[in-house]
Amino acid sequence: MIRDITIGQFFPGDSFIHKLDARAKIVITVLYIIALFMCKNFFSLSLMLLFSVVCVFISRISPKLIWKSLKTIIFIVLFTSALQIIYNNRGEVLWKPFESREFAVTTGGIYSAVFLAVRIIALILLSSLLTYTTSPTMLTDALERLLSPLKVFGVKVHSLAMMMTIALRFIPTLINEIDIIMSAQKARGAKLDNGSVGERMKAMISVFIPLFVSAFRRAAELAVAMECRCYTDGASRTRLKVMKMGYRDAVAFGLLSLVIAGALFTSYYGFSSMFIFEPVM
Amino acid sequence: MSFIEVRNVSFGYGRKTPFEVQALKDVSFSIEKGECVSVIGHTGSGKSTLMQMLNALIKPESGEILLDGKDINENKKTEAAARFRVGLCFQYPEYQLFGETCFEDIAFGPKNMGLHEDEIKRRVSLAADFVGLSKEKLSASPFDLSGGQKRRCAIAGVMAMLPEVLILDEPTAGLDPSGRDRVLEIIKKYRENTGATVILVTHSMEIAACVSDRILVLRKGEVACFGTPSEIFSRGEELIEMGLNVPSFTKIIIALKKKGFDVNEVYTIDDAASEIKKLLKGAGV
Repeated sequence: MIRDITIGQFFPGDSFIHKLDARAKIVITVLYIIALFMCKNFFSLSLMLLFSVVCVFISRISPKLIWKSLKTIIFIVLFTSALQIIYNNRGEVLWKPFESREFAVTTGGIYSAVFLAVRIIALILLSSLLTYTTSPTMLTDALERLLSPLKVFGVKVHSLAMMMTIALRFIPTLINEIDIIMSAQKARGAKLDNGSVGERMKAMISVFIPLFVSAFRRAAELAVAMECRCYTDGASRTRLKVMKMGYRDAVAFGLLSLVIAGALFTSYYGFSSMFIFEPVM
Repeated sequence: MSFIEVRNVSFGYGRKTPFEVQALKDVSFSIEKGECVSVIGHTGSGKSTLMQMLNALIKPESGEILLDGKDINENKKTEAAARFRVGLCFQYPEYQLFGETCFEDIAFGPKNMGLHEDEIKRRVSLAADFVGLSKEKLSASPFDLSGGQKRRCAIAGVMAMLPEVLILDEPTAGLDPSGRDRVLEIIKKYRENTGATVILVTHSMEIAACVSDRILVLRKGEVACFGTPSEIFSRGEELIEMGLNVPSFTKIIIALKKKGFDVNEVYTIDDAASEIKKLLKGAGV
């Protein structure tokens, strides 16, 4: 049950996407998301969606895993789409539950509902691909390097990256721990998956207290272990794996620029007669 | 019909993902009422999975588990009943303590059984008596106890449900020798007082040999052998091949045998001592 959580999980592989530099992947994802929000019509949006679908295909991550990460946001997608259908009154009226035009279902509403849904799905596709194909250590390493210019302003980039690495590292450990504690309390008859809502909430206390206790214990142990190895904050260290940008990253950036250019061009110059996306805020 | 019957049980983790593991493969065995059985096996041999199946925490993918002739996974009711009839104490149970006082923590199981207030009190003091926790300790916070006391408090939490089958997963892990002997003593006491069936998961052949009637050896999710300690120990070399830690005295006896000395199979340290004495006498030392 709790083992099904895939957020932040890394699936090793040796595809083109896996071999990309982590920094390149982060930058590509950010640029992609920005471009996604500048798309104005379906033509440009489908171009962007195609890009992330192709990326998924190249990464050879099983579609089932992708579907798993999409499932978690399905509620958000449905919710935003429903809001658009209800509140967007542009275009032809298809169904009018009340006298006025307010709350009517219109072509514009349906159009923007679908548009928003596709946009969120494209966004999740590429960003979940980032965590699926990049190991957490590479990810934080890359973030540290990308954020290092902020050192000038006194931001402790290294400490931030270290905290993130540790947090990510302990997610599976804590999930495992929750699993064991839940089983142990269930063995004593805790009503964790049967019984009324009140009973379940009460039973959760028997899971959370031991979990917090063990999280603090682990934190203290880790701190001692780090001190024993003379960890000091911000000491300049060399790395085991030095990141290098290669021809692959250049290819990826080239492809992305082409897709973004195409999408922006169709959004702002050509195809202006096609539907223009105007969501209500 | 035996008290506990495990029939052709199979189970795997993470099916259809890259991390798929076959934990149990067609496991079958039976345990009689009142018996004490030790389960030994290497890490990842499926011991813990099997134990969680015996109290319906995990459902077998195929096969069935009968308790007193009835399938425990038949429906929600039988599952809930099995949780109380088969008490399972996890590894490092002190990490699962949560009560404000030890009393409250030990009372958690009996409370979930829906017992009457007086009966809960009776059971808590009974369980505390089994594990040797004093009255003052019962009103203390479990987090203020020492390591060994925490362990015993947690074991009491399972014993307070008075299960007919008591399963303990590595109850002596991480304890010093005196703490270990104390826990084994507690298990013996519980068994004598309630006539319960006891299943003990352990890494230690010494413990398995001295407390249990029979030993179940698991290897890679399959039953490698199941028999009395003397039967199991007579296959000492096989056990070593499986990567199991046989007691040092067994190793000595095996080595002596290889050298061509005439020694009998032994499975306690005292027997080993007298065997060696006999040898020395025969040699005229």
